[in-house]
Amino acid sequence: MNFKIRAATKEDCKEISRMILELAVFEKMPDQVKISHEELERDGFCQNPFFECLVAEVPEEKSKEGFTVVGYAMYYYTYSTWRGRSVFLEDLYVMPEFRGNGIGKGLLSKVAEVGKKKECVRLQLSVLDWNTPARDFYAAQGAQDLTDSEGWHFIRFDNQNLDNLANEAPKD
Amino acid sequence: MANFILRKAEPNDVPDILRLIKELAKFEEMEEKVLLTEKDLLEDGFGDHPFYHCLVAEVPKEQSSEGYTVMAFAMYYFTYDPWIGKLLYLEDFFVMQEFRGLGIGSQILKVLSETAVKTRCSSMHFIVAENNTKSIEFYKRRGAADLSSEEGWRLYEIEKEDLLKMTSK
Repeated sequence: MNFKIRAATKEDCKEISRMILELAVFEKMPDQVKISHEELERDGFCQNPFFECLVAEVPEEKSKEGFTVVGYAMYYYTYSTWRGRSVFLEDLYVMPEFRGNGIGKGLLSKVAEVGKKKECVRLQLSVLDWNTPARDFYAAQGAQDLTDSEGWHFIRFDNQNLDNLANEAPKD
Repeated sequence: MANFILRKAEPNDVPDILRLIKELAKFEEMEEKVLLTEKDLLEDGFGDHPFYHCLVAEVPKEQSSEGYTVMAFAMYYFTYDPWIGKLLYLEDFFVMQEFRGLGIGSQILKVLSETAVKTRCSSMHFIVAENNTKSIEFYKRRGAADLSSEEGWRLYEIEKEDLLKMTSK
């Protein structure tokens, strides 16, 4: 299958937003999606963008519903106090009818290339424990499960808890 | 109660930041894994495109330990969640042992939370090792959720060697 991977433009945000929702549905958490293409346009294409995005396009064929953008990878730069610059792959998604054609691998390789140019020492990502195809896909590229080997857990403070923390007086 | 101030790190704090990074790594029993140098920290935190932001806590000279006045730090940066937008990610957070129990850690967390709210972040995220029970309790007391336990998220990493293999194909 003929496909192209390129940097996303502001105009791609509507398509990216559509696919973000598709991925959230797959991850069984669609009601947790609170932002739309407008926030993506604002946060990804401002002077100091909070993320970067690649899209996969199929020029000739179109998906059942008429889309030409059929996959995306969203990533940003992070920092390790031990080793320095890193890249974090936040989302990687290919529409189901376009899988098995190397698009996922193409997107991941392109993110690796971007990371290499920026002198990043590693790429990290998070994956759900039940998502075996994804875990296998990343393991095939040499990924290590650090939750398993080193016991790392993701922690979150949000909403009321974040506000409470922000308002809290220092304890004696 | 110790008299201390919290402030934004400056370029000449870099030697202290590296010293504290190494102390935290020592506590995590991974001191030899710190490969970062002062030069890296300077370039990456105070150059054209900062990869991180840092807060430091300082005590007056008279209260210092072994001559150091900077005795705590928190390193953070902004990340993005495609479902909720901007997040504040706390990378490292450490108070020197002799200065614990004085409210410095709590104050740092409060200032970070204020920063998160002011900069329109929906949430503050970080990772913690499951055997670090003291830290986990500190965070849970303040309402933190463990997403690995509650939702099944696992941290994966691809090292430079394997990244380079991907780019050469």
